[in-house]
Amino acid sequence: MKHELEFKEISKNFAGVPALQHISFSVSEGEVLALVGENGAGKSTLLKILNGDYQPSEGSYLLDGEERHFVSPNEAISAGIGLIYQERQMFDELSVAENIYVGRLPEKRKVVDRRELNRRAAEIIAEFGLPIKPETKVKELSVAMQQMVEIMKVYSRNPRVIAFDEPTACLSDKEAEVLFALIGRLKKKGLIIIYVSHRMNEIFRLADKIVVLKDGCFVAMHDKKDTDENSLVNQMVGRPIGSMFADQMVRERRKETALWVEGLSGKAFSDISFALRKGEILGFFGLVGAGRTELMRAVFGADPITAGTIEVHGIRQNIDSEQKAIRLGIAYCSEDRKNEGIIPLCSVKENMSLVILKKLCSGMFIRGKKEQSFAKENVEKFRVRTSSIDKKIYQLSGGNQQKVLLARWLAMDPEILILDEPTKGIDVGAKSEIYRMIHEVAAQGVAVIVVSSELPEVIGLSDRIYVMRNGRIAGEVDRKEAQEERILRYAMLEEMEG
Amino acid sequence: MKILKKTGQQILTSNLLGLFIVMIVMTVVFTVLHPGYLTAKNLLNILTAASLSGLIAIGESYLIISGQIDLSPGAVAAFAGVLSGLLAQRGVPFLLIVPITLCVGALFGTVNAFQVNVLKIQPFIASLAIMSIARGLAYIMCDGKPVFISQEAYIKVGITRIFGVPLPVIILIAAFLVFGVVLAKTRFGRNVYATGGNAAAARLAGIRIHQVKFKLFVISACLASLGGIILASRMNTGQPSAGQNVDFDAITASVLGGIAMTGGTGSLSGTFLGVLILQGFNNGLLLLNISTFWQDVARGLLMMFALTFDYFRKKKREI
Repeated sequence: MKHELEFKEISKNFAGVPALQHISFSVSEGEVLALVGENGAGKSTLLKILNGDYQPSEGSYLLDGEERHFVSPNEAISAGIGLIYQERQMFDELSVAENIYVGRLPEKRKVVDRRELNRRAAEIIAEFGLPIKPETKVKELSVAMQQMVEIMKVYSRNPRVIAFDEPTACLSDKEAEVLFALIGRLKKKGLIIIYVSHRMNEIFRLADKIVVLKDGCFVAMHDKKDTDENSLVNQMVGRPIGSMFADQMVRERRKETALWVEGLSGKAFSDISFALRKGEILGFFGLVGAGRTELMRAVFGADPITAGTIEVHGIRQNIDSEQKAIRLGIAYCSEDRKNEGIIPLCSVKENMSLVILKKLCSGMFIRGKKEQSFAKENVEKFRVRTSSIDKKIYQLSGGNQQKVLLARWLAMDPEILILDEPTKGIDVGAKSEIYRMIHEVAAQGVAVIVVSSELPEVIGLSDRIYVMRNGRIAGEVDRKEAQEERILRYAMLEEMEG
Repeated sequence: MKILKKTGQQILTSNLLGLFIVMIVMTVVFTVLHPGYLTAKNLLNILTAASLSGLIAIGESYLIISGQIDLSPGAVAAFAGVLSGLLAQRGVPFLLIVPITLCVGALFGTVNAFQVNVLKIQPFIASLAIMSIARGLAYIMCDGKPVFISQEAYIKVGITRIFGVPLPVIILIAAFLVFGVVLAKTRFGRNVYATGGNAAAARLAGIRIHQVKFKLFVISACLASLGGIILASRMNTGQPSAGQNVDFDAITASVLGGIAMTGGTGSLSGTFLGVLILQGFNNGLLLLNISTFWQDVARGLLMMFALTFDYFRKKKREI
């Protein structure tokens, strides 16, 4: 009999607010079903119902025609449901083998049988065809390999269903390739695969069926061959978004140099030189671990430099603290929204005013009304979808959080704006709005740096692109000659001459 | 009207209502068991008894919100009581004793901050070390004997009443008002929340988190020293053994009042209610002549109760 997973009229309410309404679809073995929708469409909620984290308010879900009710993820796991979370859940200090078999370590007279453990792990690793050893500590692996370990952990329990929640969010394009090959193999083995992602090219590559969710409702289920990127996006956002990137900017690229970096070295990067002009958008592309974030943090004064100089508006500056950078008009929006961006328990308003709070004060006191009108203005200007400026920011979706953070930094009227992975893990609608904002500030003469691992994003946004590899600048590409293939070669391959 | 509605909402959302209910239930129970509980006199007794743990709870709340904790204020208070008593015995005028004691007390806070900021020691352990040092020094200074205070101005602090309200109570309430406003309405207060809510993000946003922590440890030590002086004045004695459990009480009151142990949230109005509940509880046990050993058990249970509260609040946030 063919394995099959079916959702029947699933609804889920939180305190009376519907998060999912009457979702029905089914998927059978050897199929990859992609789940798409904007942030807040209900994809994560559905996955949590799948793995027993949440119980549906109405409806049921059937595995092989049998109705299942899981009250905890543990039950779902033993029933053959595996979920690969967005954030890895690994024990860094333990070995690959221990992580795969955590909670199920083979024992011999009540003591862990290491030889057996490593033998079993080696079998799975060989089956996956990965270049890692069972004894290696997980913290020594790359992000991609850590994710593979996570997948092996789920796979080792012989699941019938594996669900991936935005697995490529932290992977570079090359690392993602490894993952895609693996998913292909799992599919051939007859597993049911559910794949959640924002990236269209991945979805069209991997999926057999595509389910579109919007605002907690089922919109459509397509066979891959019957649909295309544009119509999917239209269904997701309910409106055509045209070109994601604002039309060829009618921006003058000014002559004045805003930032001049020469021979800069520090943790994870060395001998970096580049110039950034006013009104220019400079892209920094590279694989994860190429040293881009470290470089930007150093320019912002968050990490020390060991050599080199930084000139801001033609004056040499020793940027030794974040305060100094901010005083010089430099803003840095971190790639790590959760750990270095939002203050989760503070309100939207408080998060927005953080950098410029001094301007909203008289003396030591915050002027409540002034702060409120500041926040209201910016919520509107940046189209942050929130019921109130006093809502805690952790309750907002990723895209809206990101808009609040952009507002936070743009409020200081920066002259140099550094955005590190500004659209990581956010939905298409919010993405295009953020692109539009970036163009707007550049048009006003702000010098912008965009660090990104998404090639289409870098190419679509930037006037010039620097490609980093192993802590060095591997090449510079102008917008006119920007081709994916050429940039990727800089990022991954040997030094190119000339 | 609008203001009324807004405060109403704030009470509901900040769990203060729940605390009020706990307080009322407690008051009713104790009053039934002992009619002398709900009298103006006893209420003032409760507040007077809260003057030390209350002042310390202010500093503790600030620290917990910023993601830190301080176990030393009780010992610092004892140190301050002994030091100020010795100064009084040597004829130093009271108006000099207070600033000198606060400054010396502030040194403990400075060392605490140094350990946390520079040596990157966990505040729990760092302040544990300071606790031992301050307590030991208090005993050394007075040779282990209580320091009797006869200076008139000093003793007056403990016995002065304004409109029938003891001065220590007035100082406590004034301190809560001032620090409550600072926390809720000033940039410094906001920085405390940001530092505790997400230190890395706060740092990138240009907040000097080391400076914030430094100020908070110093504030905590100064409030403890002030509390120590007031206690010594009430007792006419600087006791090296004073303030044994106050850190514990202050932390319990803070958590009970809605300050999350994980930092980043809470308010001083909650802490004030927490202090009242805690002291009201202790006072009730005293009135009922329950042995002090049982009081220790009760204190621990209250702490567990507070942490359970904290757990459910956290859970609610996560959903």
